[in-house]
Amino acid sequence: MKKLIYILLSLYLLMPAVLYGQQRFPKPEFDSGYEQPDVIAPEPRAMGLEYFDVLVLLGVLSLASWLALKKRSRQGILWLSIFTLVYFGFYREGCICSVGSIQNLVLSFADPAYVISATVLLLFLLPLIFALFFGRTFCAAGCPLGVIQDLVIIQPVSLPFWLRKTLGLIPYIYLALAVLYAATGTDFIICRYDPFVGIYRMDAPYTMIVLGVAFLLMGMFVGRPYCRFFCPYGVLLKWMSKFSRWHLTITPAHCIQCKLCTTSCPFDAIDYPSEEKAIAGSRAGAKKFVVYAVLVPVWVLAGAFVGMKSHTMLSRSNQDVYLAELLIKHPEVKSDPDNLDVQTFLSSGRTMETLVEDARIVRKKFYTGSIIAGAFIGLVIAMTLLNQVIYRRRTDYQPNPGDCYSCGRCMDYCPVEKPKK
Amino acid sequence: MNDSDKIRLASNVAVVAGIFCAVVSLLLLLNFFQLTKSDPLESEVMQSMIERLGREPQNAELKQDIRHLDLLARKAYFTSQWQVNTGSYLLLFGALVFALALRVYFSLKSRIEIPDQIVENELKARILSQKWLLAGGVFVLVLTFAATFATKDYLKMYHVDETLVADVASADPGIEVIEVGSETAAALSGAETSSEEVPAATAEVAASDAAPAQVAEAVTAAPALPDAAQIRANFPSFRGPFGNGVSGHRNIPVDFDGPSGKNILWKATLPMSGYNSPVIWGNRLFVSGANAQKREVYCIDRNSGKILWTRAADNIPGSPATAPRTTEDTGLAAPTLYTDGIRVYAIFGTGDVIAFDMEGNRVWARNLGVPDNHYGHSSSLIGWKDKLFVQYDTNRGQKLLALNVATGETVWETPRSVKISWASPILANVGGKYQVILATDPTVAGYDAETGKELWSVRGLMGEVGPSPAFGEGLVFATQEYATLMAINPANGQIVWKDDEYLSEVASPVVANGMVFLATSYGVLVCYDAKTGSKLWEHDDGPGYYSSPVVADNKLFIFDLDGRLQVYALEREKKLLGESNLGAKISSTPAFADGRMYVRAGTTLYCIGK
Repeated sequence: MKKLIYILLSLYLLMPAVLYGQQRFPKPEFDSGYEQPDVIAPEPRAMGLEYFDVLVLLGVLSLASWLALKKRSRQGILWLSIFTLVYFGFYREGCICSVGSIQNLVLSFADPAYVISATVLLLFLLPLIFALFFGRTFCAAGCPLGVIQDLVIIQPVSLPFWLRKTLGLIPYIYLALAVLYAATGTDFIICRYDPFVGIYRMDAPYTMIVLGVAFLLMGMFVGRPYCRFFCPYGVLLKWMSKFSRWHLTITPAHCIQCKLCTTSCPFDAIDYPSEEKAIAGSRAGAKKFVVYAVLVPVWVLAGAFVGMKSHTMLSRSNQDVYLAELLIKHPEVKSDPDNLDVQTFLSSGRTMETLVEDARIVRKKFYTGSIIAGAFIGLVIAMTLLNQVIYRRRTDYQPNPGDCYSCGRCMDYCPVEKPKK
Repeated sequence: MNDSDKIRLASNVAVVAGIFCAVVSLLLLLNFFQLTKSDPLESEVMQSMIERLGREPQNAELKQDIRHLDLLARKAYFTSQWQVNTGSYLLLFGALVFALALRVYFSLKSRIEIPDQIVENELKARILSQKWLLAGGVFVLVLTFAATFATKDYLKMYHVDETLVADVASADPGIEVIEVGSETAAALSGAETSSEEVPAATAEVAASDAAPAQVAEAVTAAPALPDAAQIRANFPSFRGPFGNGVSGHRNIPVDFDGPSGKNILWKATLPMSGYNSPVIWGNRLFVSGANAQKREVYCIDRNSGKILWTRAADNIPGSPATAPRTTEDTGLAAPTLYTDGIRVYAIFGTGDVIAFDMEGNRVWARNLGVPDNHYGHSSSLIGWKDKLFVQYDTNRGQKLLALNVATGETVWETPRSVKISWASPILANVGGKYQVILATDPTVAGYDAETGKELWSVRGLMGEVGPSPAFGEGLVFATQEYATLMAINPANGQIVWKDDEYLSEVASPVVANGMVFLATSYGVLVCYDAKTGSKLWEHDDGPGYYSSPVVADNKLFIFDLDGRLQVYALEREKKLLGESNLGAKISSTPAFADGRMYVRAGTTLYCIGK
């Protein structure tokens, strides 16, 4: 076992240096006779093939739902996730995925000039519709970001409840920021910081691949860290899945309280039967509930206020704002031939006045957007706190409908046999 | 194979795959260090060879050696890139096998554990999570709030700078004060004008000369704006008064020769080139020139050809630091200037609009936003009374602007749902009210010169519209090479007739004596009946016309691209009165004053007369 640990450690140490060597000096520029490789990855597909991708996703979602709910086959889900890894991951190079499609959708609402195809809309909606009926089967076998993490889980450790809940705030913050940046036309941060797309494309900036490798190494011991503590699309799937009409169950019939499944879930997504002590203790927490409920608007207002105050800072990610401020702060950069941003701007013939005007328009959008995003984050903190003092009586071991990825691991642990019809 | 065999196999596979990954990683690492240490493009040998080439630029052998070395460097780069790519795939493959073997190993070794009675005390866990959530929530908000204090809004600071610029500008007496000097009076009196307005202007000047105490009054009082008669007596804009290509000046020579100098009164060399045509008020002629670095306006004594003053269009707030790209046949000084005898106004391909008084004092300047124009902005200026009209149809927004001639402020702005155009606005007196008429893809439209309101609009043009419209015989004529020639009634916006036999690409039509004349870029001059559209005559001769036909002295003057001037009688049958050769390529349109014709060829300005 020690050998393995040494190998793992050496791999981890070697990786950054190896990756650093990838992009050494710029592409050669020939006057003629040389065709520059396409810089868009993946290359655009014909409309028919885009619909084919949607069909494949529909097929994967249907099959995953059937395997999780009807067939109850962990093996089937595993093989399906390998297919997703190959098709949506390495073949389609992780783009466009349902996770990133949030941004396309938001921008299409915010900017009338930005139009999305029906395929993008379907990629966004299909997993949510399936989650509403069958739980997060998309996470189980349809998401290229999820399956790559799922396949590297080796020795998952259980995280304490407080840590899960606290880290669980991050996806909401990430979602709020992703929507804000997309709506202002600033950036698609979900794609920019997608940790796995660089691995799928075998080509990405150094930091992006390091991030992906770090997530995978962490994922060997903490099940699906990106899905649980970062994925913004997971927030929407969680909301849908909570109301799922049918959802994967641990037992095919009745729970016999054998507790065998308790260690089966690498994601700590199994809810245990309620403790009587906890239920009794929760009654004493009624006062706390009132306090937290009263504090909801305070959190929302505080979030909105902080959002409003931070709009200047947040808007700096926008290229126009960044460039305008840079030129105002350091006008001498105009004569720096190595500053490509500035040189590109200068050669575009755009005036400083126009740039500043455009930057001001963006900043105004950020003002409104940041208030809304801040209020949303405040509301999420408030509601999560409120949820901590609400106890629901459970009698069986059952998957948490919001957090369960429907991977089916727990089903194999259940000794209860499926009743014969 | 029993479980322990499987475990052993999985363990061995994991070890082999792990070692494989480590070896591949090591090789990639070595590749990286090798490349870092010996970068062929930055080698001392290459550097010294390049330095040597600087000293021996004609050394062909050395050039060849550098090329060889460069080729080797690039080959090395692509080879290393191939190695990195292949190594990465091998590493990925090894890592997959490694991960799978580990999974199998651990799943085979796993035993069903005895579940803990209580994994975590729910009540305690929840209380703890509340504390952490509170701390986490407060931490996020406080940290973000604290970070805002380190943020400065530099965009607001730019606003402060703008104000400073404005303050400096207003503090400069040379910018705000408009002195109506003796030259202006001379310009006004020198023109063939009607007598009503001129005395008023000269009276002001006389008063200022006689009594210094009244100078302030004369300076602050608005100078008298020219009326229609004064405009007709001069040549104030592209294609003359109101942009219609008809001048009342007489005794224009039809016989001259550029190479021999016959009837060439003078030739002046301008500092910079430009495709704009001369405009004239009194004894002063104005043109502009530009290159990528600077833009200038030139005032020339039209009697001697001497440059009276040269003024740079610089330090204009909002003007781009780098000029936009334009094509060679357009450049940055394609639009013709406009003058009202009080000021001269110029626009450049940068979007800079500038006004000088007749003495060359800058009155105002502003930037309208850099026009997104793939050839370069070419629409000329025109004005009426206190308004200067700018047709600003670009790829990024189309509008007609009216600027206050005295301040440059926007009086009104009318957005237009059209495409980009290169045509210039003209003015038409329709029913006693002046209309600004514009031709663009897809419409020809008339706007109330006073309010900017669109009065009528007719679809029918398409593509890249270069020819400006013309007004005469109560009709507006507009054309484009791939569309049609149409006559429109500006009173109701109805098309009176259309024809598409001959169409113009660049040159604008002109209307006179019940006829409309059209010159094509492929060398055909055509005459139509203005009322009916029936073709009266055509003349197919020459290399083509970019210069627009103009009417003066009751004759039709037109320069072809080779600089040959043809003069035709304004008759319903073709009658060529004379042909002369300037000896220079001409694409600008001539201007007329007092028996003289002025035409520009690049940096040379010709005065033709007797």
